[in-house]
Amino acid sequence: MSYKVLRILRRRRYVMRYDVETIPARKINITLGVAVGLATLPVVAIYVLLTLSSFADRMLSGPDILEADYSIENWRLFFQGKLDPAATSLYSFKELIMIILNTLIVAAGVTVIVVLVSVMAGYAFSRMKFPGRRELMEFLLLLHAFPGVALIIAVYAIYVWSLKGIPSDILVPYRFTYTIFARAALEIPLSIWLMKGFFDKIPWEVEWSALVDGASRFKTWFSILLPQVKPGIAAIAVFAFLAGWEDLIYVHVFLYTGGIKTLATLIEEVIGNIETAYLPIAAAAGTLYLLPTIIFFIFTQRFLLEALTGGVKG
Amino acid sequence: MVEVRLEKVSKIFGRVRAVDNVTVTFPESRFSVMLGPSGSGKSTTLYLVAGIYKPTNGSIYFGDKDVTNLPPKDRNVGLVFQNYALYPHMSVYENIAFPLRLQKLDESTIATKVNEVAKLLRIEELLDRYPSQLSGGQQQRVALARALAKEPSVLLLDEPLSNLDALLRLTIRAELKKLQQKLGITAIHVTHDQAEALSMADVIIVMDQGRVEQVGTPHEVYYKPRSLFVAGFIGSPPANILSGRIERIKDALVIEVAGARFEPSEDHLAVLRESNLEDIVIAFRPEHVLLVDEPIGRNLNVEAEVYVTEPLGKETIVTLVVAGNLMIKAVASPDYSLRSGEKVYVSVPRNKIMLFDPATGLNILHIAGESEPA
Repeated sequence: MSYKVLRILRRRRYVMRYDVETIPARKINITLGVAVGLATLPVVAIYVLLTLSSFADRMLSGPDILEADYSIENWRLFFQGKLDPAATSLYSFKELIMIILNTLIVAAGVTVIVVLVSVMAGYAFSRMKFPGRRELMEFLLLLHAFPGVALIIAVYAIYVWSLKGIPSDILVPYRFTYTIFARAALEIPLSIWLMKGFFDKIPWEVEWSALVDGASRFKTWFSILLPQVKPGIAAIAVFAFLAGWEDLIYVHVFLYTGGIKTLATLIEEVIGNIETAYLPIAAAAGTLYLLPTIIFFIFTQRFLLEALTGGVKG
Repeated sequence: MVEVRLEKVSKIFGRVRAVDNVTVTFPESRFSVMLGPSGSGKSTTLYLVAGIYKPTNGSIYFGDKDVTNLPPKDRNVGLVFQNYALYPHMSVYENIAFPLRLQKLDESTIATKVNEVAKLLRIEELLDRYPSQLSGGQQQRVALARALAKEPSVLLLDEPLSNLDALLRLTIRAELKKLQQKLGITAIHVTHDQAEALSMADVIIVMDQGRVEQVGTPHEVYYKPRSLFVAGFIGSPPANILSGRIERIKDALVIEVAGARFEPSEDHLAVLRESNLEDIVIAFRPEHVLLVDEPIGRNLNVEAEVYVTEPLGKETIVTLVVAGNLMIKAVASPDYSLRSGEKVYVSVPRNKIMLFDPATGLNILHIAGESEPA
């Protein structure tokens, strides 16, 4: 083709001018940034308003941010158990600490169970051949699709039936254990899938190397494979912790009915009747409740991102 | 140091016979190379020796000891993989120390041994780094150091050079062989690169489709291939293979191939007279081909037309067409100038010609040798 023809073609834009890869990366980043920013703006705005309200003398809704008076009064009242500046104390500071501890016990318990089960089961699904492996994997996915609310009747029935055999002096630990296991069971299916994905990415050769180097299968799993799936463990641990921390239904059904409160059920109480509740104090309760979520996401977002993108490093 | 012996070993994965009734000995303190195309079962055989796979049938011996049912950790073998398989969360030092720690050695002994093997492989200055901070060649050395640290009785190498760039491969190839000789270790190396095999091996085991095609020195494998597969696989470019017919007229016996006739060498004649073969496959190496204007004496002389020439610097590879549509490759000296379409004679000395039984693909001289009572 002569130069002249090429020139004509180019003038008529028959010739592609850019390779696909040469779209400037900056342009993409800016576009993505703006899009993500816009999408998350409402959520971020609500969080900011909630946090600010907990320090304000009224419930903020936007433009009144500048007019309100700010103090730590709401927090003080909340810690004293006063849900209204004029009300009498509903609970003591000590009781609030107990409530936070209860929440932590449930969250930590769920985390430990989920991590233990998922790390071992994920390895088995990734690396071992056994009959029904594929079917079980698919079944897990199906389990994940079940909402916890739908299962609660059956789980409650078993709970009530099992309570008969429990001596009253260990009833409280039993209620915690039952809640933790029931809640963990909802998290485990997806966590197993996540962990399997992480184990899948470790080449067989690494495992074989360790076996040839003289390690047992368990030793290989523990000291060679586990360190390499740390991001996955971190991710499922965070998800499990938050699931336990935020859970309302299971906690309400198995603990609250036994007189054990957690932050979720406390907030349920605090807000009680939304029309009469003093909202700035409820905002303080809400902010406290959200704190671990925010802290966790700030410190582990790198791990979480890696887990959500299938562990592919960007 | 021990010799490694496989006796009638098979490995079946589902319906695939990855290793098919292999009996072979890897001699003590020698460098053995398993060579074959991908899927030939060479890596599987190596993993069988390592204990990663268990044979479906047969037995594996290290010296007199039957290790068939021993797990890898009890076999005292060192293994280097193609992708090195370093532990990414451990420093180079910890990588090399890992097998030693499993032996429950005390910390000072471990330090001494790690430093010793690091010095041997010249990676002392890398000990504090992590695998991701190393180049391919460095990772390869670390993997080798880790395999050697526990002083294994057998060193297994699974294509350890194929991820390196061409120049580095040549360097490490020589070093690896030197190292093996220095340590006097029994080494088994797996590769699909024939140049690597020919240059490093004391013994080459050529494999194809899970079977051992030939065991021999590089010289034997190259010049006396046991089967057509070996002749066609080894050599760059590989041997030319043509089919021919045997014509017996009274006492005389000649082979007709690509429109030409020649009388086989004495060795071949002796075997052919005993047999009743009618068809035959002949093979000859490109570097044994002479390109001449006139036929030469009792050589195989075939009329040919130059198809294309590829100058490679130290030599020129000439592709020729004979008998209308058959391609032949020849190696000519670099100053040999031929143009496409030119007519020449392809002339091959009789003693450079190899003959194979078309039914079995075996070299007829080998058939004669192998059928003799031991």
